[in-house]
Amino acid sequence: MLMAWLYIGLCLQASAQELHTINGVIIDAHTQSPIIGANIIGDNLFAVSSDRGEFSIENVPQGPKKFTITHIGYTSQQLTLEVNPNMGRVNIELVASVTNLDEVELYGKTEHRKAQELSTISVGVNKEFLEKNRENSLMQTLRKIPGVSTMTIGSGQSKPTIRGLGFNRVSVVQNGIKHEAQQWGNDHGLEIDQYGIDNIQIIKGPASLLYGSDAIAGVVDIQPPNIPLPNSFGGEVNLLGETNNDLLGVSAGIQTRKQNWFYRARLTYRDYGDYKVPTDRIRYESYIFELHENHLRNTAGREANASFSIGFAKDDIKSETFFSNVNAKNGFFANAHGLEVRTSTIDYDGSNRDVDLPFHKVNHFKVINNTTLYKGKHTLHLDLGYQNNQREEHSEPVPHGYMPTPPNSRERIFTKNTFSINAKDTFRPNAKHDVVFGMDAELQNNNIGGWGFLIPEYDRYSAGVFAYDHFKINENFHLQAGLRYDAGLVETKAYYDWFTSTINNPNGTTSYARLQRAQDKSLNFGNLSGSVGISYLSKNTTYKINLGKSFRMPLANELASDGVNYHMYRYERGNIDLDPEESYQVDLAIDHSNQWFTLGISPFVNLFDNFIYLNPTPNYYETLQIYEYTQSKVFRFGGEVKAGSNLTDALHLEASLEYVYARQTSGPKKDFTLPFSPPLSGLFSINYQFKGVLFFQQPLITIDFRATAAQNEIVPPEERTEGYQAFNLSAMTQLPLFGNGKPMQMRVKLNNVFNTEYYDHTSFYRLIDVPEPGRNLSVSATIPF
Amino acid sequence: MKLLVKLLLIILPISWLISCSNGDSSSVDEEKPTISINYSEGFPQACEEIQKGQSYTFKAMVTDNMELAAYSLNIHHNFDHHTHDDQGAQCELSPIKNAVNPMIFMENHSIENGGTSYEINLTVAIPNDIDIGDYHCAFSVTDATGWQSRTSIDIKIVD
Repeated sequence: MLMAWLYIGLCLQASAQELHTINGVIIDAHTQSPIIGANIIGDNLFAVSSDRGEFSIENVPQGPKKFTITHIGYTSQQLTLEVNPNMGRVNIELVASVTNLDEVELYGKTEHRKAQELSTISVGVNKEFLEKNRENSLMQTLRKIPGVSTMTIGSGQSKPTIRGLGFNRVSVVQNGIKHEAQQWGNDHGLEIDQYGIDNIQIIKGPASLLYGSDAIAGVVDIQPPNIPLPNSFGGEVNLLGETNNDLLGVSAGIQTRKQNWFYRARLTYRDYGDYKVPTDRIRYESYIFELHENHLRNTAGREANASFSIGFAKDDIKSETFFSNVNAKNGFFANAHGLEVRTSTIDYDGSNRDVDLPFHKVNHFKVINNTTLYKGKHTLHLDLGYQNNQREEHSEPVPHGYMPTPPNSRERIFTKNTFSINAKDTFRPNAKHDVVFGMDAELQNNNIGGWGFLIPEYDRYSAGVFAYDHFKINENFHLQAGLRYDAGLVETKAYYDWFTSTINNPNGTTSYARLQRAQDKSLNFGNLSGSVGISYLSKNTTYKINLGKSFRMPLANELASDGVNYHMYRYERGNIDLDPEESYQVDLAIDHSNQWFTLGISPFVNLFDNFIYLNPTPNYYETLQIYEYTQSKVFRFGGEVKAGSNLTDALHLEASLEYVYARQTSGPKKDFTLPFSPPLSGLFSINYQFKGVLFFQQPLITIDFRATAAQNEIVPPEERTEGYQAFNLSAMTQLPLFGNGKPMQMRVKLNNVFNTEYYDHTSFYRLIDVPEPGRNLSVSATIPF
Repeated sequence: MKLLVKLLLIILPISWLISCSNGDSSSVDEEKPTISINYSEGFPQACEEIQKGQSYTFKAMVTDNMELAAYSLNIHHNFDHHTHDDQGAQCELSPIKNAVNPMIFMENHSIENGGTSYEINLTVAIPNDIDIGDYHCAFSVTDATGWQSRTSIDIKIVD
């Protein structure tokens, strides 16, 4: 069983002298399909198999060479290759490992094949993609995936958007537990360390069936890293430097496993200065802000993260407990925060690295345990999680309306604790069915402080049960269907202003009182969601169709906020009668690949019965415009098209296009679009893979050209945004720095090559007419050991 | 034949996508109202000095392409120099000081019968017992759709 065959074909490829190139392909012994991401490790030699299972190792001296081929889903193989000028393409067949404990490997299927069999539209992101596309924050790194974009908050923070929807309509899941912070905030980034991630599964489309509330537009599922091999020790150091915001980043991770016990640890530190924009003045309405040396003043920040995990894997049990802490501090543009124009006596231009007011500080602590038990036909999976999110928003104390000058800079403090439990049983009565029963429960406890009120304190309890079946009608034809029921309870706490306001009574008298901003309320929700879909895999083409219903429980601020958001110059009023948001979506996907090209299209149609929307009304409260949470019907459609082709062995072209159309079909903004609608956008990439030069192995040059159309579809208070074109360049290579097999990886990247001044419709700073960052040269290195 | 079917399967959804994307731009109101004090009766003008104990009529012109809805006037102190106006003028500010009993004026009114043009005309009595110094006067206006425009003016209240 633990066999690997090796045979040498006729395809001649080697240079005349002592150094040769080994070309080969790694395939699954059973299905004969390529294995992606297998490691080929020899003495001073290293390669990883590509999307097509291929690998190439250059500059190999003549003679016998020992190699170890490993892949998490397969039994490791050791073999000796006789390297000589006449050696041909090497075919290596790996046997799927059934003793390995990851449920992925249990069936000996690759992640890629699994994704093909699922009817949901999903994209797998591996470490190689992350290394190749590494940007300043996790969501910026994932932006190249068609249909996935990001809302950036300056240069160091971002939050996910899938097909035009973000905030609480995208679930971010890490190690099986939903990331819970203050996702509703315009200027709150995602508190996740982007280093140390092996695999991300991105689901585009409704996924409440498995992920519960909030998974309406999609899911960013950051999966636990692969379990290290027995008796192994390894690690890496990641370095990053950038010129635009003078960023220095370092991250170091190690992992080790004896026989059953394994450990991992990682430390990350990043420190960046104010970022530069390709303009020396910002014109916002009739204000003009002069910029000092193109720096967007006070947008510097820093981030320090630490994580540790301990795990145990043996026979029929696998368990790992993760401890992680993300700590960040980010400044905000000093001249205008939100829409509020500010002047200050703070010397912002004295240093471009210090973080003055206004700024945010956040600390996110997590403990998560994943345990899997294999009992015959059952696989039991249990996730337990505790998260503490501590966010502090500081700004210079300024009187507003009846509020006198506050005593300190602590404007808003949020302390949120979230306890989560997920349990599921995957039952395999026969080879045709995989039946999953599961339940999730979550408790959120949110506390507030500071002098600015926006959302109330609340406790939120929610629980769901679901069942679904993956029915393999035949090897290439799969049906999936499932149902879920969720119940939830939100208890909001009363809040009164800390200052008195003047009230002009209808009878002509004047009274003074501390106004009540939120009430003690208790709200119940129940919701049925589900999904049904089929996938059909022919030789070169995969077809999928999926129909899903997803939902989202209203947030405490949508239900019960009643206060002034000074940064946005508006009065925000919740609506205690909101229903859970419900969304119906049909997804279609066709992916075709042959030896010349790949082509994929994934259109969708989506209907919301009651989209929750913060509607700007024509009315005023204490001279501030009232914005009210309302619900409207929404119709959306769109999708992505992507194509790729290998023109030659070295030259690879890729193109993709993404588009979303949205209309509110009822309510006060009938016929308007939704806020932050992304415009039509295309990305064209040219990749050129060089032969090894000197000590550079597998040098790769990539040119990215992004063309984005104008966004003329707006809703108050948005502005139209013009289209733009931007070029990015990058060069990557491997360097055999140390004599331990794995080479160091280096990348040089030039973003916004022509220092173009352009605006991103979905950026936080778009509101005040701040363009996107200017030219940026970044140098990064990954040094494995 | 099989290839044809495949091609159709690929081309049809794309053409559908493209044809739909030229969607009808329906007749929604995408214009903000305007607000201005830049006419001879506009009051106050930038850097205007007004006296305690007196009454003044604050005036601004507002227009909209469809229907005006409401306006507001907010007068608050700028003793801490926390912001500046958008009239382009640089008014000379008095030294920074702490507020003791600053004037706070906040009023909103709806514009009856909407219309596309209206003159804000609001009489404000400046009390006698308030702190003198730098103040800020902010007008804003909304239209029936929910678009808003604002303008703000630096003024001084003097003895």
